Amino acid sequence: MKLQRTFAFSRRALLQFTHDRRTLAFILIMPLLMIVIFGYTFGGDVKNVAVEVVNQDTGPQEGTSPSLPSGLFLGKMLIKNFDEEAFSIHENMNITNARQKVHNGQAWAVIIFPANFTQEFLITLTTQQGVAHARVEIYLDASNPTISAAVIKTVTQSIQTTLKQLSMSLNETQMQTPISIDQTYAYGGSDTRFIDYFAPGVISFAIMMVTVMITIILFVNERRNGTLQRLLASPASEGEIVVGYALAFAVIGICQSIVVLIAAILLFNITIVGDIILALVVILLLAFGHQGLGILLSAGAKNEMQAVQFIPLVLFPSILLAGLFWPVESIPGYLQPLSYIIPLRYGIDAERSIMLRGWGIGEIWVDILVLILFALFTLSASVLLLKRKN
Amino acid sequence: MLGQVTFEQTIDTSTTIVEIQHLTKTFGKFTAVDALDLQVHKGEIYGLLGPNGSGKTTIIKMVCGLLRPTVGTVKIFGHSLPCKSIMNDIGYMPQETAIYFDNTVHENLCFFGEVYGLSKESLKKREQEMLQFVDLSQWRDALVSTLSGGMKHRLSLACALIHEPTLVFLDEPTVGVDPELRVTFWGYFEKMTQKGITVIITTHYMDEADHCTRVGLLRQGRLIADGRPSDLKRNTNTTSLEQAFLTLAGRNTL
Repeated sequence: MKLQRTFAFSRRALLQFTHDRRTLAFILIMPLLMIVIFGYTFGGDVKNVAVEVVNQDTGPQEGTSPSLPSGLFLGKMLIKNFDEEAFSIHENMNITNARQKVHNGQAWAVIIFPANFTQEFLITLTTQQGVAHARVEIYLDASNPTISAAVIKTVTQSIQTTLKQLSMSLNETQMQTPISIDQTYAYGGSDTRFIDYFAPGVISFAIMMVTVMITIILFVNERRNGTLQRLLASPASEGEIVVGYALAFAVIGICQSIVVLIAAILLFNITIVGDIILALVVILLLAFGHQGLGILLSAGAKNEMQAVQFIPLVLFPSILLAGLFWPVESIPGYLQPLSYIIPLRYGIDAERSIMLRGWGIGEIWVDILVLILFALFTLSASVLLLKRKN
Repeated sequence: MLGQVTFEQTIDTSTTIVEIQHLTKTFGKFTAVDALDLQVHKGEIYGLLGPNGSGKTTIIKMVCGLLRPTVGTVKIFGHSLPCKSIMNDIGYMPQETAIYFDNTVHENLCFFGEVYGLSKESLKKREQEMLQFVDLSQWRDALVSTLSGGMKHRLSLACALIHEPTLVFLDEPTVGVDPELRVTFWGYFEKMTQKGITVIITTHYMDEADHCTRVGLLRQGRLIADGRPSDLKRNTNTTSLEQAFLTLAGRNTL
């Protein structure tokens, strides 16, 4: 393999993009757009859920417990402790009307504190019976699982906070919940946001998509225009052609990653704890492998129209099965093995481990190995494909 | 009597550049090229002449190593194909324009020069020579997609010649080219042979074939005649190659 010749292929392809401004814009702005759009819209947490709150709590009856203030209104405290951002609260005294609003789709849930809410709580507390009598009733539109989960989570958190406040203000040990959770973080922290999780994924995804799409179209054109014929009738070897293009896409992949990383750091202040060089190595491997895949797919297409038809074929399995938005664990069990054959999965996994966990080659060597094998396979298959003659 | 008509030749056959023996190509049941025997000598312009579908392009592709013959052999400079090492001395202009539309004229010439392993200095020199040769000097930095069809054709020829090949295959270089440019092109080809370059060219324009040193008339994948244009005309008692072809084609189907 002659280096001068190999670089000639890379240089020509890169020069082509400097003249084709729109394609250049696609290459650099598409991933940028993805991270900006997803970063702002896909906050991860549900906010401003419309809920109806019916607070009928009348507080404690006289003389229930001498050690407790008579002015305790537990319902009110819970409402105050709801996460301000999570709910958009409308207080309603009429249960029927509140339920009606859920039926009409004007609200997602009705949260009801019954008249004896505080009283029941105090009875349980003083008599130390094992059964909790104080009940919060929630009437829920569970057609959207994300929202209903958020409602339950907000109410539960509020209960925990309220109990903690009560026990602190009264110095009553018996009021503490029997089980408490102490969270410490192996990786990330309470301030890790969806965007931190998403950024490494979007970089990998953008590299994959741009590399596959542009390679398919470039090679369909090479075949149709006759330039490939000319090259195959030249002293250039098939290996030089494939490696030359692979190097061009490596340069493109690095540029894309840098643009996305800078945007993610400036706009969303994402934290990268790992080795950035290792992250770029993963990007290169992804670009190499998918470039080979693009050449292989281009052989199945007679024109650009047919080439474009391959794109959803590559795109959707990668979006859905590689853990880009949702973790692989959220895929139904019988489909999870499928994700192992999506190369992007290993790229995303490796990038996340590097950027969020700060892992090194020792921990992610399996991902790296799979990506190397994938690249070797597709690139050598591409060489064989170009060598094939009728 | 079926078969190939051969005419006496007084051509110097001492240096055979291309030697084709019993070359056959079948696609399924269809025979595109049928038992072709042919020799081309140094400095000739050899014209493969025939109607569309007569197997011209298939022959060129086999001779360039792009298609594998079903039967038969091709020897170039004495080496049997496939052979990558001789490719440095071969120039190939495919039927399609076969240049990069999203690159400039300069970038195309440099790219193909580098593919053929030219050094920086010789590339610089050759680029200027080629730009002058095909009269594109003032378009050096223009994007190919902005050039006219004729200019693209001229650039395509320049890209095939950038590395000073001694043997050039031109597959229908004048199809879709206006008459003026066709004359220009034949001027280029004659200049090339003056430098000792051997040219094999395919065309279906019979009038062009008069410029060739020798022509091979092809019909349905078979070589029905091989000789100098003047000899072909004399022996068939015709005044043009077109008539000669029709006469020979008629004889062949009897």
